[in-house]
Amino acid sequence: MSKFTRRSVLAGMGVAAAATALPAMPALAADRSIRHFWWGNPERDKRTFAVIDVFQKHHPEIAVSGETVGWGDYWTKMATQTAGRNMADLVQMDYSLLFEYARRGALKTLDEHIGNGLDLSNFDKGPLSGGYVDGKLYALNIGSNSQVMPLNARLLEEAGVTADPIVWTWDDYADACEKITTKTGVKGSDDLSLTTECQEVWSRQNGRGFYNADGTLGFTVEDVTDYWNYWAKLREAGLLRSKDKTVILDAPFAEGGMIMGETAMSMFWSNQIVGLQALMKDPVAAGMVPHKAGGKPGQFIKPSMFMSLTRDAKDVEAAIMYMSDWVNDPEATAILGLERGIPANPNVRAALAADFTPPEKVSVAYFDSIQDKVGDLPLPAPKGHNEVRDAYMRIGTDVVLGNKAVAEAAEEFVQTGTDILERAK
Amino acid sequence: MKRFFLRNSSGYVFLTPWFIGFFCLALGPILASLYLSFNRYDMVADPRFVGFDNYIYMFTRDRRFWKSLEVTFTYVALAVPARLIMALTVAMVLDKGLRTISFYRAIFYLPSLLGASIAIAILWRQLFLADGVVNKVLATVGFTGPSWITDPKTSLYTLVVLAIWQFGAPMLIFLAGLRGIPRDLYEAAEIDGTPKWRQFTRITLPLLAPVIFFNLVLQTIDSFKVFSPAFIISNGTGAPSDSMLVYTVFLFNEAFKFFRMGYASALAWVLLVIIAFFTALAFLSSRYWVHYENERD
Amino acid sequence: MNATSPDLTREMEEAAAVAHQLRIAREKRARGMRLLKHVFLIFFSLIMIYPLLWLTSASFKPENEIFSTLNLWPSEIKWQNYTEGWEGLPISFTTFFTNSLIVTVLSVIGNLLSCSFAAYAFARLQFTGRNFFFGLMMMTLMIPYHVVLIPQYVLFLNLGWIDTYLPLIVPKFLASDAFFIFLMVQFFRQLPRELDEAAMIDGYSVYKIYWIIILPLSLPAMATAAIFSFIWVWEDFLPPLIYLNDIKAYTVPLALRLFLASDGTSAYGQMFAMSVLSLVPVVLFFVLFQKLIVRGIATSGMK
Repeated sequence: MSKFTRRSVLAGMGVAAAATALPAMPALAADRSIRHFWWGNPERDKRTFAVIDVFQKHHPEIAVSGETVGWGDYWTKMATQTAGRNMADLVQMDYSLLFEYARRGALKTLDEHIGNGLDLSNFDKGPLSGGYVDGKLYALNIGSNSQVMPLNARLLEEAGVTADPIVWTWDDYADACEKITTKTGVKGSDDLSLTTECQEVWSRQNGRGFYNADGTLGFTVEDVTDYWNYWAKLREAGLLRSKDKTVILDAPFAEGGMIMGETAMSMFWSNQIVGLQALMKDPVAAGMVPHKAGGKPGQFIKPSMFMSLTRDAKDVEAAIMYMSDWVNDPEATAILGLERGIPANPNVRAALAADFTPPEKVSVAYFDSIQDKVGDLPLPAPKGHNEVRDAYMRIGTDVVLGNKAVAEAAEEFVQTGTDILERAK
Repeated sequence: MKRFFLRNSSGYVFLTPWFIGFFCLALGPILASLYLSFNRYDMVADPRFVGFDNYIYMFTRDRRFWKSLEVTFTYVALAVPARLIMALTVAMVLDKGLRTISFYRAIFYLPSLLGASIAIAILWRQLFLADGVVNKVLATVGFTGPSWITDPKTSLYTLVVLAIWQFGAPMLIFLAGLRGIPRDLYEAAEIDGTPKWRQFTRITLPLLAPVIFFNLVLQTIDSFKVFSPAFIISNGTGAPSDSMLVYTVFLFNEAFKFFRMGYASALAWVLLVIIAFFTALAFLSSRYWVHYENERD
Repeated sequence: MNATSPDLTREMEEAAAVAHQLRIAREKRARGMRLLKHVFLIFFSLIMIYPLLWLTSASFKPENEIFSTLNLWPSEIKWQNYTEGWEGLPISFTTFFTNSLIVTVLSVIGNLLSCSFAAYAFARLQFTGRNFFFGLMMMTLMIPYHVVLIPQYVLFLNLGWIDTYLPLIVPKFLASDAFFIFLMVQFFRQLPRELDEAAMIDGYSVYKIYWIIILPLSLPAMATAAIFSFIWVWEDFLPPLIYLNDIKAYTVPLALRLFLASDGTSAYGQMFAMSVLSLVPVVLFFVLFQKLIVRGIATSGMK
């Protein structure tokens, strides 16, 4: 059967079915249209749709279709649409996948639109730089965050932990775990053995990153061994959350140790403090990832989310207009608030400051206090990062459960990670 | 002769919707996946032909491939028989004139309604963690259970338990089948004084054979392809230590998480061959134990 | 015989007494068995119903209690999960339920019609290539859906069907679900051949035989297929996720996922409340249609 006839048969059927099937096409009054696709949550979706309404009010000639799904499903759908060359005009992008999409040619550069539709005159340079791949801007920062150790303030006070959590060291942290566990009966901390984000900070304090500039694995066997040993010592002393719960990978946020009242300290991204506080009765304070005495700065400030223009965008001018409003329009930015991270436009930050909620204040104060204690932003992760991360957690599981010796497991991980990166090239 | 053509043509007439669906919608994508299995395809750039590389890598270098096969075969070997026996037993109990049958039927179907939802994932952890409900119950009889769901030695069994517990679909099919067996056969046997177990082997089993066969084949296929329960309960990772890494979870991650759609397609075709082998075995054996009413002499 | 020996009378009385006792014992045992059976069924039902109890209880709990306690009884009953959940997303659940109903009802009709067509051909008609096509059909059951997803997406995209319900519904009218074909084949093959032969002699066409003999006599099988079809389409997730873009077109399972977030502000209570509600149509359909799984008139009356 030729393609043509097959199609016309199907088209005929399509018409017949369409009569009954109520196609879900939105009624388009406007003659221009753009699609915006993001991963969300109930709060973010509400705010984003409200921003779309604001944009529609200013630009009734451009119809904006807001498309949202959750994080896990987002990348499945995104990959399918990319393969079908039917990506939304504007997509939300994550730092860990920016290289995957930009280097493979799925995104358009933004450089030619800067000052020419896209107004970035008020943008901080630091946050903007995170969106560059090979010298070209592929992604616009729509919020920044950093690593954070959330602390249950009540328990830390009860236990008499006095170390300043912005400058504390790993020894201070172990000491805090000890005090909390003995004085309050609640375990000191979540077991972060399987948290690659924490291992990354640890390695950076030793002067290495997750990856080297050439895209090979930066972690050494020594880094991984030391890191896993640090936690093993605390675990054996009974100061950490039970290992059964530690080995549940990518568990729902709400099953976290602090929320379930099992631990007093953990690790997250700084924009999650607000969500964490919403699920906890005790006040949440924020500390930095412990420092290595005499080591290099480990933490960094990174874009929490980006907005990118895709290769399938049809009405580029309209899309850029929307993007520009998103980061500049006072009405839109007021609605978005800090939900996606700290905005990179100082005017926007100043306008928001008056209405901060208490957890938002904690988050912003933390952000201000770490500015001079962080290192450079590492390069976006190379292809294969997802798989390296999975391997780390898988092999680390054997360590936590006591099925493998630390040194042996660390060696296995470095070998596996190297192989994965080689294969992904 | 004329009648032969008449019959032949009416067969095709009845199959027309299926023909259109198969040749226009199904076959193309299936062949495309076969083609992609010989390519390196990251879904963003165009596919690049690599010959048999994917297949060679799979069999010679990919340890997780073998691990996922081991997990899947274990799962199939345990879940299929257990679920079928459960479904058949309950169906027979329900079929034997209890007045409250429709009530129980609905109750027994409930777990299957929840499918592999997020609720099941959370519930399963609350049941099978070290401090979970199951161990609390076991503690009352003085037994200390492991952390079933996070111990690589036992975690797969929690999936098998889920499969057994969701026996609703095969149960309903068995019930429909039992309803097709003429009552008077049992009445006659009752008068002859045939004992119950012999009624079961002489009447129930042979007449139910086509339905048993259906359930056996379908449950086997579905269990080889099992995805959602393992994916949901292990948060998509197959953890701990790959003990829940069933084949399709492995395949899904290769495709959508690691951007290797070509490799995933090759995995899919290997699975298809495995399933086809077992299905063919079932069909061949069915000649000896499944007899159909409309093919009797 | 006008006189009975007293011995014999006594023996008969004793025998009768023993028989009576035996009967009582048997009845007792039978009653005991029945009781045991019910006790067993009730205990068993509790295990079966536990997840629903759990889900319902979670749907009334405050957010932080869902994960932190195994207690089924919430500390405070939060009706707001239902009232706020219904409007908890940018689009009301009224829309999502309507969408799901449209897709599901049309799919059930499509499945029943097109699959019974194909099943009738495979089960009771002779034609060249029957086994070959049957084999092809079985093959479609064996391939993991995830690898045909992208080619299928491209196909539907070229047809201009993305962001409509057509990719979800049209395949159902084209017998795309081999499970149902195979299921119906197995039941159709169990109907006695004499039925068709008698009808053939009466001058019935194969079409008429299908419509007025085979279909009505397969009521239990068709009802079973209808139930599965409804449940599975209602709960289907991946195809709607891929093919629907506009949130106004979302089905209930897609909408439920919007309550969850990887990074914090999920609304589990509301999600569970809406999950409970989303079970209502399914349970109603199940209860209504399972009544049709009755003893076939054909097989019991024919012999």
